This record gives sequence, C-alpha cells and structure tokens, in this order.
Amino acid sequence: MEGKGDIILEGKGICKGFPGVWEHLILDHIDIDVKAGEIHTLLGENGAGKTVIANCLSGFYLLSEGQILVKGKPVTLKSPRDGIRHGIGMVHQELALVKPFTVAQNIVLGLSSSDLTFPLTEVEDRVRELSEKYRLYIDPLARVEDLSAGEQQRAEIIKVLYHDPEILILDEPTSLISTDAEHLFDALNSLAKMGYGILFITHKIEEALEAGDRVTVLRLGKSMGTKETAKTDKTELVKLMFGEHTPVHLERKPVKSDKIALEVKNLEALAADEEPALQGVSFTIREGEIIGFAGISGNGQSELAEVITGLRRATRGQVVIHGKDYTNRSPGEIIRAGVSHIPEKRREMGVIEPMTVAENVVLKDIRISPFSKGPFLNMPHITGHTQEIVSRFGALVSDLWKSQTRILSGGNIQRLILGRETWRMPKCIVAVYPTQGLDAKAVNHTWELFMRLREAGSAILLVSEDLDEIMALSDRIAVMSQGKIAGMLDGGAAKREEIGLMIATGAPKT
Amino acid sequence: MNLAFLRGIFIGSLHAMVPITLTATGEVIGESSGLFNIGLEGIILMSAMTGALGAEAGGPIAGLLIGVATGAAIGLVFGSICTYFKGVQLIAGVGINLFAAGLVTFWLIDLGVPGHHAVADEGQMVDISTPLGDLSPMIIVAFVLPVLTYILLFRTKLGLKIRAVGENPQAADVAGINVHRLRLLSTVVGASLAGLAGAYISVDWMGSVTKEISAGRGFIALATVVFSGLNPMLVLLGGFIFGFFDNLAVWVSTMPAVQRVIPWQFVSMAPYIVTLLVVAGVIGRVRFPAAMGIPYERE
Amino acid sequence: MGFAAGALIMMVYGYDPISAYRALFSGAFGDLYGFSESLANATPLILTALTFAIGFRGGMFNIGAEGQLYLGALAAVTLSLLHLPPAMVFALSLICAVLAGAIWSLPVAILKATRGVHEVISTIMLNWISQFLAFYLIANILVDPMRAEKTISIAEGVRFPVLVPGTSLSYGIFISLFAAIIVYLFLWRTVIGFDIRAMGHNAMAATYAGIEKWKIIVFVFITGGFTAGLAGAVHVMGRPPTYAVYSGMPSITGLGFEGLAVAMIGRNHPIGIIISGIFFGGLLAGGRIMQLFAQVPLEMVRVVEGIVVLFLAIPELIRLFSFLRKMGPIVIFRSKRSSDEDRRRL
Repeated sequence: MEGKGDIILEGKGICKGFPGVWEHLILDHIDIDVKAGEIHTLLGENGAGKTVIANCLSGFYLLSEGQILVKGKPVTLKSPRDGIRHGIGMVHQELALVKPFTVAQNIVLGLSSSDLTFPLTEVEDRVRELSEKYRLYIDPLARVEDLSAGEQQRAEIIKVLYHDPEILILDEPTSLISTDAEHLFDALNSLAKMGYGILFITHKIEEALEAGDRVTVLRLGKSMGTKETAKTDKTELVKLMFGEHTPVHLERKPVKSDKIALEVKNLEALAADEEPALQGVSFTIREGEIIGFAGISGNGQSELAEVITGLRRATRGQVVIHGKDYTNRSPGEIIRAGVSHIPEKRREMGVIEPMTVAENVVLKDIRISPFSKGPFLNMPHITGHTQEIVSRFGALVSDLWKSQTRILSGGNIQRLILGRETWRMPKCIVAVYPTQGLDAKAVNHTWELFMRLREAGSAILLVSEDLDEIMALSDRIAVMSQGKIAGMLDGGAAKREEIGLMIATGAPKT
Repeated sequence: MNLAFLRGIFIGSLHAMVPITLTATGEVIGESSGLFNIGLEGIILMSAMTGALGAEAGGPIAGLLIGVATGAAIGLVFGSICTYFKGVQLIAGVGINLFAAGLVTFWLIDLGVPGHHAVADEGQMVDISTPLGDLSPMIIVAFVLPVLTYILLFRTKLGLKIRAVGENPQAADVAGINVHRLRLLSTVVGASLAGLAGAYISVDWMGSVTKEISAGRGFIALATVVFSGLNPMLVLLGGFIFGFFDNLAVWVSTMPAVQRVIPWQFVSMAPYIVTLLVVAGVIGRVRFPAAMGIPYERE
Repeated sequence: MGFAAGALIMMVYGYDPISAYRALFSGAFGDLYGFSESLANATPLILTALTFAIGFRGGMFNIGAEGQLYLGALAAVTLSLLHLPPAMVFALSLICAVLAGAIWSLPVAILKATRGVHEVISTIMLNWISQFLAFYLIANILVDPMRAEKTISIAEGVRFPVLVPGTSLSYGIFISLFAAIIVYLFLWRTVIGFDIRAMGHNAMAATYAGIEKWKIIVFVFITGGFTAGLAGAVHVMGRPPTYAVYSGMPSITGLGFEGLAVAMIGRNHPIGIIISGIFFGGLLAGGRIMQLFAQVPLEMVRVVEGIVVLFLAIPELIRLFSFLRKMGPIVIFRSKRSSDEDRRRL
C-alpha cells in the first residue's frame, strides 16, 4: 500500500467525446486525483459526466485525450482487464453479475485460471475470508438473483476486491440500496483506513459531505473544482452543481378548474429487473394543470409514466382517469380514454423507424374514422392530415410516403411525435423528457404549446431533468426519489436552489 | 406380447435415440451460449450424405469423422454469420436447411439412384453382440456424451463462461471473456455433434441415405432441448422418449394385428405430436438463457 | 452471389456452367412453352410465399405452408366426392381448401399467443403430422378405386381450364396473381395490415400505439393459412393430366419450403413475390432443359436457392465489408443505448 496521502490515481486533462454527440465534449479537460487512504466523492447532476469519467479511469472507455497516471506512472488502459492489472477496480451502477449464478460462480468467471478447472471451493473460502476482513458479509453460495439489492452490491464489491485492487471506484452505489447505506459507508471507511483510495460517485450532496474527505463537482463535463468536505457546505455545492440561473417566466393564469383529470393512488410497481420502482405514489392532476416531476432519472419517473399509460403492470394501487379506473388496462384502452403519451425513448418506442412519416403520424389515430373507413385506410385524408401536422410543427420532411422515419434527426422525430400526440388537444398528456435534444427555438415552441394546451384544459404530467423547464411550466413541482414523491412544491413560489436541494438530497426541506 | 418382442422394441428405441440425443446434447451447448440453431436438420442431412460417402471410401469410422467435420464446417459458417456478422439466427438456420436439402438431393442423383443411396457393406458399422441383442457402439457414445456435457457445463470454468455468455453477455464481456469467440466455439461443437448424428444414421443405423433421411429429427432434437431445460441429463431421457416413438412406427408396420386398429400413418405421427405437446406443456416452465437469440453488440 | 456459388459447384462436378445457365434461361423464358411452364410452376409458389411473407411482415416465422397446403389440396379432392353441380363444387372446393389451411394454422397461433410456443417448432411439427395424415387420406378415404396409387381426380367440371394448350398452365395463375394483389391491399391499405406491419417492425412501439399482439398473431396465421390452403387446391385443380394427388405426394412436397425461398428473395412483398415466383418457376422449368442439354441435374436449383437465403441472413452486406476493413478492432465495451439515453444516464 502506498503511504497515506500520496496520490495513487490521477487523471490529467481527460477529454471524451462520443460519436454522434457533437454538441459538446462529454468530458472537457478534467483533472482529478485520488489519494491513498481517502474517500473522494465525485458529485454532479445527471449528464454531468460522472459515470463516463469513472469508466475512463477504470479502463472501460478509451480516452479521447488526456492521461491517466497510477502511482505517478502514466498508463494506457484499453480494457477493464488493464484496469484490474493496474490495481483499479470498479463497481458499476448496473451490477455486472450473472443473475442465475452464485456469487462464487460469478467470481470464478473473471479468474485467469485454466478453463477446465472449477476452483469453486477455493473461491468460496476466499470470499468468506474477504467478507470477514472487510466486514461485507455475503454468502458465496447464494444465487445472485435471490439476494437483495444491498447484498448484490456487496457481492459485486467483493468480486472487485477479490482481485486485490488498490483503487476502488464506485458508481452511484447508493442508488440501488436505500437502507444499507450505513453499512456501505462503514465498509468504505474501513477500506480507506487500510490504505485504499476510493472514488465515490454520487448525485446526493449529503452523501458527498458525509462520506467523503474531498469532493469534486462536475457540471456538463467540466470540473467545477475540488473542495475539502470539512471546508464547504451544502449551499456552495448546490451552486457549483446547478449553477446560477435566471428563471424563465411564462405568462401563466391560475388554474381554472377543480375537476380532477388524473388521479394516482398508492401506486406500486416493479422495474425491469424486478426491483421495486414505485413504492406508493399518490397525486392528482386537475384539468388545465401541469405537474412537473423533477429529479434525477432512475427514481421511478419512467416507470410511473409507463404504468399510467398501460405499458407496465402496477402491482398495487390505482390509476383513475376522469373518474374511471384504468389501472392495468391495455395501452389501446388508455389511448381511447384520451391519454396521450410523449415517450422517453423516442426512436425505440415513439415512432416505428422503418415506417414512413405519414404512417407514424397516424400511428394511433389510424383506427378511427375518418382516417380509416371500416377496415380500409383513407389515404387522401391521411396525407392531408400529415401534411398539416408536419408543417404546423415544423418537422422537416421531404417525402411523406416514401422516406423512412429513421432518417429524420432526433429533433424532427420529436416534433413529429409532439404533433401526433397533441393535435387533438387531449384531455391528459404524459410527457417524458419532451424537449431532450431540441434546439432552443423548438424548446420554446414546445413550452408555448404546453401552455396553450394547459389553457384549453389539458392535464399534463411532465417529467423533465431540465430545471428551467420544470420551473417555467409547472403549476406544481414533484420531486421523485427512490420510487416515492419526496416532496411537492408550488410552481410559482419555489426557488431554484430549493428544488435543487430537494433533488440532490432526496428529502424534503426540513 | 412376449419378452423377445419387448426386447426388440427396446433395442430399436435405443438405436433411434442416438441421433436425437447427440444432436440435442450439442444444441444444449450452443443454446447455453446464446445461439439458437434451427439449421440442425440441414446439418444432419448433409453429414448423413458426406458420412456415407466417407464410409465407403475409408470405413465406418472415417465416415463418422467426416460427418463430424461436416457438422463443424457448417457450424463455423452459421456461427460466424450469427456472431461476427450479427446475422439473424433464424434466417441463417433456415438457409442451411434449404441448402442442405438441395445439395443432398442433387448429390443423390449424381450418384446414380435419385433419392436413395445404399451404403456399401464395408461402410457400415458392425454391431456389438450383447445378451440384449445387437447394439451399436454409438449407443454407448450417446449415453456418455450427455454426461460429459453435463460435467463440462456445470463443473468447469469453461462451462460457466459458456452459460454466462448466454445469460448476460455484457457481464461476461466485463469479466474479460471474448463473447463472439466463445459463442462460435459452442456452436461449432454443437454442430459437430449433429454431424455425428447424421453420419450415424447413414453409416450405422439405416445404412442408406435418402433425401428424407433426417425426417425432422433436427427439429425433434430442438424440442428435446426445450424439454430438457438445457440440462444434458434430461436430454438423455427426452432422447429416449422420442426415440421410442420414432421407432414405434417401424414396429407397428410389421404387425398386421396392430395395423388393423391403428394405421401406420398415425403411429408415424406420434413423435411429432408428442413433441408438440411437450413443447406446449413444458415451455412455460422452462427457462432459457436470457440473451439467447439476440446477436451481441458491443457498440 | 448464389449463382456464382452454383457455378462453382457445377464446375467442381465437371459441368460447364455457361451452357448450363444458357440452357436454363432459354428453357425457362425463351419460348412460349417454357414461359407457360414457368408460370405454371409459379402458381402455387406465389401463394405459399405469401403465407411466409405475411408472417414475416408481422415479425413471425410461419413455415407451416407445407402442411397447410397438403390439407388444402386434399380438401379440394374431397369435395369432388360429392355429386353436386360442378360450379358449386368448384366454389366449395376453393372455400374448403382455404378453410382447411386456416384451421391447420390455428393451433400454431393459439400456442404462440397463449403459451409462447415458438412458431418454428410448432409449424414444423404440424407439417409432419399433416403429411402423415395426408398419406393416410390418400391411401384410404380418398383413394381412386381404379388406380390405388393416387386419389380420385378432381371432377371434370371443377378443374381449372388450361390457359395455353399443350402446357400445364391453367387459369389458376390468375388466382395466384389475384391473391397477391389482395394481400398487398390487405397489408398496405387496411388497418389490420398496418397493425401487422407495425408489430413486425417494432413490437414495443406497436404496443405503445395500442396494437394488441395476440390479435396480430391470430390474423397473421389465419391469413397465411388461407393462402397456403389455396395453394394446395389451385395446384391440384389445375394440374393436367390427372388432377389428382399421388401417394407420396411427389408433386406437392416442397412447395411450402420453396415458397419460403421465393418470399425471401421477393423481399416479402407481393410484387416481389410475383416476380421471384416466376423466376423460381422458370428455374424449375428451365432446369429440365438444362438437364437435357447440359446434363446438370435440376436439383442444382435448390442448392442455389439455399445459398441465396443463407446470404440474405446477413443484415447489411455493407457492414460486412467495413468489418473486413477494420481488422483487429480495438475492444471498446459500451452497452447498446441511443445517444440520448447515454447522455442522460451519465
């Protein structure tokens, strides 16, 4: 082990760009270092680049530019194996474990011994040894899929520790576990005392202050500086994370109606990996009201939208639309109930890329007259309608019927979807990250559109990570954290820092 | 019903079991790694042909080996298409079937009698005489291979890697495993076993090659794989069951008494009906590797 | 590319590919006789290809045409047992054949929709079951009392009249063409067809749009059954000189699987299928001439078919070439996500 206080891992001037994303570098000349025996937190919003830099430092991603030094010597990392060889171990946010295998089997997978061996008992013994040593208790014979989230994470950590790293990188380790955080911090502290250098990535300010010795804040790919946790506080960190902004004000009249358009009661649901995603969500939206769901993605927002629109099963609770129970009904029924859905995954779900623009514009309406007469499609009407939508919403398309939708830019696809979902002035709209990837003009148009819909009486459920958007549009702001609504704020009155704080801490202001 | 009759049926079933068990065992390895090879039927057909020719040239063992090699070669092409070239597994497999069907038919014509070719005596395998009756040594192979495969898949690190690649290729990639290479290897091994099965049919069991010689056994093997839940030991059981039905039709056609009650055509249907029922009934309970059928992309 | 491979194989065997191909094409399309034979061969192929194509457009692999067409053919034969006015028998034959095909594809649809049974396995099994069923019917119930090796013939007034005298081309070809047009209208001009295509392209988006998967499964397989059953009937009812099915079904066997190849080469589009069907029909017709003049057995055609389908499995041949160009790629691992998600999840 290096002497305490020496820098064991250092990144200098690290840059990373991704093909297809040319607006800005994902990582923009980042300098960072980790000392032996310290816990260094990396703090930032989503999109700030935290996971990317971690992946670069562990050998997952190649650097576009810059240098990595281990114990003062420059190294080139071309794969996670290289990282391991140099003593860098990374625990990913989405655990790299094979679910039906046992813990021990998962570790055997990564060993470099001969293929025909099966050193299971050896591994099991060593795992128990390591468990004791680091006080991360895990049963090597347990199957990963039977373990709780916290235990799975412990298994992943042990798996990484098995290879004897000197540097440990953990990506959002507390996003999966809620109650076991204490255990984790204890373990990390003892690891640090033993001389490990730990890089801990999080978006929660309180964790950064509590767990770390130093904290580096990242915003939009740039480092905002490194502070010692003893010498800084929440306010300063929030400012570094979110920046100073003048809010955009849109003309807003008070909500007219009292009638409830959408009501959600005690909704519970599971995520794709069978972990709980929604843990009792309740709220109402009135006609002509916009509720903005803010917060880091991954806290249940996607699942909430999916349950409401019929794309995911609710295990408990109710979805009530205009007084009628629509819980767990098919998407078709919910569409007919007047709910529009601007989906998160616009290319994978919002449109059918190999189909033409016209076909995509009428994707949902095609079943209804006058788009179809009986079983037959009414081509002239479809063409006319598409023409209108396309020009109204500014989606640049050359040929409605010939070109595949796939060739459109993301922005144009989103305009198409917006057109399709809102032309009827629907009673209920679920909009998930609706302005992602749109240019400023399009964003403004969308905001104006939403305000007009609001005036006309639509109830809008907006999910967004853009605080400006949330603040500009929402009558009420809900912050989601770990499957629950952490707090509900008044859209007009709430201040940016307040919202930012709630997002970053995951707890209501006390 | 006397003992001799029962014994005859039992022996017949054992013989019929061999190609199904061999092919299914191979496919278990392949599917565990994530590739679903529907071209097994074509592989059996091709290797029946090449095996027969090889046997005539160099004796039964040579025939079997040529069959294995044929299977391996086809497996290599199929595997490469589906891993490195990210091809759609179903289409590639169907392509193999069509290709094999055409080539074998063509070949048979070329050899003289369209549609049929009897393997010369020197080419055929000699059965071992046992108290039970004349058994082919391949039956032993058909029993041993599933056991060996079980050991491979569940008691070695290699088997762990293969199953990891089929279950969660990303995690395997992170652990440093070459996903494409391992999948290709598994498929080649699986196809080789199917090749062995095909050669067995022509060189040993039936002693001839027709263009229908595979008789859907490739697909029955696929159903056996489903039935076994990718457990080689259950493949043994499934193979025997299907082999029994496969063999039954032949027996019934020689027994006029039964013929009057159940026409031979309906008995011939039996293996396929059973397969269908098994697949329909079992499919809900059986768990396939999570990443099976999906070409792996690293981006 | 398939032809190149075929030529290679031919050369290996000592045949002359040039004269072989020349004979092939002139035999297929060179004269009226050849062309008529090509069309006659194409007639059932177009229909079975439609079966696969509809399935493919819906995202499924329906290879049950083989089994369904056996039953369609036999249904048509069965109707000739009845002594009713020929016009009525004609109509009933077609209707029953169509229904027979659909009924035989129902189990596939039900098993898939309820138990998730993969249609490839269920269709193959049903194909074999129907083959044996057909054998039984041919040998027993439908057998011609005069000549035991075949079924009774389709009654005189019920047959499709011959279009070009001296050839096997009957009016059945119009049924095939008509069916192709209907399928085109079905897939591209009706709501259900739209839904089927949507589901085939992107099941997740289709569900999002409110399309129900089980409905699609049922429609796809039933319509596929319709065309397959029709194929069997049209073939038998238009097939001089005997208008019957022989035991062992030598003339019908393989029509289903060939239809698969026809569909793939016709890119699963009715127009493409018509062209590729005529092309395949031509290969078969010309194949006989090829056999005569260049001594190349006509099964060579099957080989070429298979190779072409194999190559069709590779989604983008362009990617193939670029892969070859960057040999020894650097290993970069990234899970597959769109760039939007990438940026958000960072």
